[in-house]
Amino acid sequence: MSVLRKLSFNAINIKAGRFLSNKWLCTGLTFFVVIIMISVIGVILFPSDYMRIGRFPLERPPSKENILGTDSMGRDVFFSLLMATEKSLLVGLIVAAVGTFLGAIIGFTSGYIGGIFDSITGVIIDFFISVPSLLFLILISALIKVMDIRQVALIIAIFSWAGAARGVRAQTLSLKERDFINVSKISGMNSMEIIAFDIMPYMAQWLSAHFINSFLGGILAESGLAILGLSAMNEMTLGMMLYWSITYNALMRGLWWWWGSIIAMLTLVFTSLYMMHIGLDKAIRKM
Amino acid sequence: MGVIKILFKRLVTTLFSIFLSITIVFIVPRLVPGNPIETMLQQLYVEGQAFQLEQMVKEYEEAFGLRGSLLEQYFKFIVQTLKGDLGFSIFLFPTAVIELILRYLPWTIGLLLTAFILSWVIGTLIGLLAGWRESSRLMQITASFLVFIRGLPFYILALLLQFFFAYSLRLFPSSGAYSVGITVSLSLNFILDVMKHSFLPALCLVLGSVTGWFLGMRAMVINIKNEDFVKFAEAKGLRRSTVVWSYVFRNALLPQVTGLSLSLASVVGGAILTETIFAYPGIGTLINLSIRRLDYPVIQGCVLVMILSVCIANFVMDIIYPLLDPRIRYGEG
Repeated sequence: MSVLRKLSFNAINIKAGRFLSNKWLCTGLTFFVVIIMISVIGVILFPSDYMRIGRFPLERPPSKENILGTDSMGRDVFFSLLMATEKSLLVGLIVAAVGTFLGAIIGFTSGYIGGIFDSITGVIIDFFISVPSLLFLILISALIKVMDIRQVALIIAIFSWAGAARGVRAQTLSLKERDFINVSKISGMNSMEIIAFDIMPYMAQWLSAHFINSFLGGILAESGLAILGLSAMNEMTLGMMLYWSITYNALMRGLWWWWGSIIAMLTLVFTSLYMMHIGLDKAIRKM
Repeated sequence: MGVIKILFKRLVTTLFSIFLSITIVFIVPRLVPGNPIETMLQQLYVEGQAFQLEQMVKEYEEAFGLRGSLLEQYFKFIVQTLKGDLGFSIFLFPTAVIELILRYLPWTIGLLLTAFILSWVIGTLIGLLAGWRESSRLMQITASFLVFIRGLPFYILALLLQFFFAYSLRLFPSSGAYSVGITVSLSLNFILDVMKHSFLPALCLVLGSVTGWFLGMRAMVINIKNEDFVKFAEAKGLRRSTVVWSYVFRNALLPQVTGLSLSLASVVGGAILTETIFAYPGIGTLINLSIRRLDYPVIQGCVLVMILSVCIANFVMDIIYPLLDPRIRYGEG
């Protein structure tokens, strides 16, 4: 058994090398890490006073004191941006972790049990994939005025399990029939061991690509809700910043430093995550 | 035989989806602690827009079918929804929700249908070209540009388009669906005005969804191009156009049609936000207005109508598929 495990760890090392030689993944990852570091360090370095309403003159263009100017409420745009990025990334992380976990469990149970249960779950999964989840999120958030960004993230996560569930279900259905699972069963491994050593290595690659996708989806959903005024109103996420800049009509009034920097940051976050997703996807297909 | 069996299966799935969506829309407001009508009215009361709270709560409960046991309410809700009765608006009280929705829905359907079909046709055709002329410089640049755009959500595209075409270049109006003061009629003038106003929202939806079709088609064509039967057709001396259209295009088409129902969800979600940004008088704008007016029945009605529309649209697209796939048409699949 230990020899087998050592072998599988060697295999993982080789795979890690292949991931690192992947241009898409590396570029995306580099950008992403830089974004995280800047936002986390920036939030620590700046005095939080910069976020207070009326701290600076209103709608001031970029200057020495405010690198990216101030918004219509007298807050420093650069500091708001760092805070908002950190919060948005937190939303993405929660949605990706909870959504993927829920989806993996539902998909795996459904595929493993099979039968009528599986067919019904299959239809439900298809339903949630084919209907835009933004609609369900609007339905809920319009009723509950959520104040905490983590609660918003959890609500989004509840409606983003379907993608993971479908993938895991399909893989479970195909893995169930493979010979090496039967060999493990005959050789006396229990179900937990089979899941951990036979099934998980296959799922892990696919799930990691899905995790990134779902991370992106979480930030996207939160910003979509925010634009409609349904996110946590008193917190600063990239979506909420966009909401305020749309509310104050920053675009038509030529406050380019305000709306422009939000769009640039959102583009950077989405592009880096998307590149990582493409990279992981390509790396998996090569194997 | 094969077709009928598949159609029947699709019909059952669609009916189940419709049942599921009505159930979810019924359950969600009742999961929230407290009486939704009371919460809504209380917020209006605090803002000074409602008076005589208790009397209103009673009247509204009666009007919205919140009386009786949960099971009774549920059956009443299903029957009413299927009849097209979605309750009344709180903000514009005597107006029925369905009346409001019918006023806004045609704009959304027009916009979505145009953008959806255009992006599919454009994406598929450019994808075919890009796949066939894989090594062409122009096609490679197009491909990398579209991959970049694919990572961007609809609302960023909407804001950028609004900035460049409506604010900087002033080529198109930035919001609305027709100019203020123009009479709504079927005259040429009005139609041109509507097209001018719809151009930017439609362009945004097309740009946002064209990339999926393009990349999918390109990958399929590159695969099929190297298959033996295409090489054989070329070696046989068939005309170039016959090979492209009857051999490559025809075979690459099927995955594109399967993709239709999958991409609808993202386009509908994007359309809601795009309409909000361009203040285009469709369902998205109605939802946005109702959120600001704390008009929950209208929000609920909009969501339900959108979900049901997506289910029905998926059913229609699922019907088209077997007609295109000869394996299913002749019952061999």
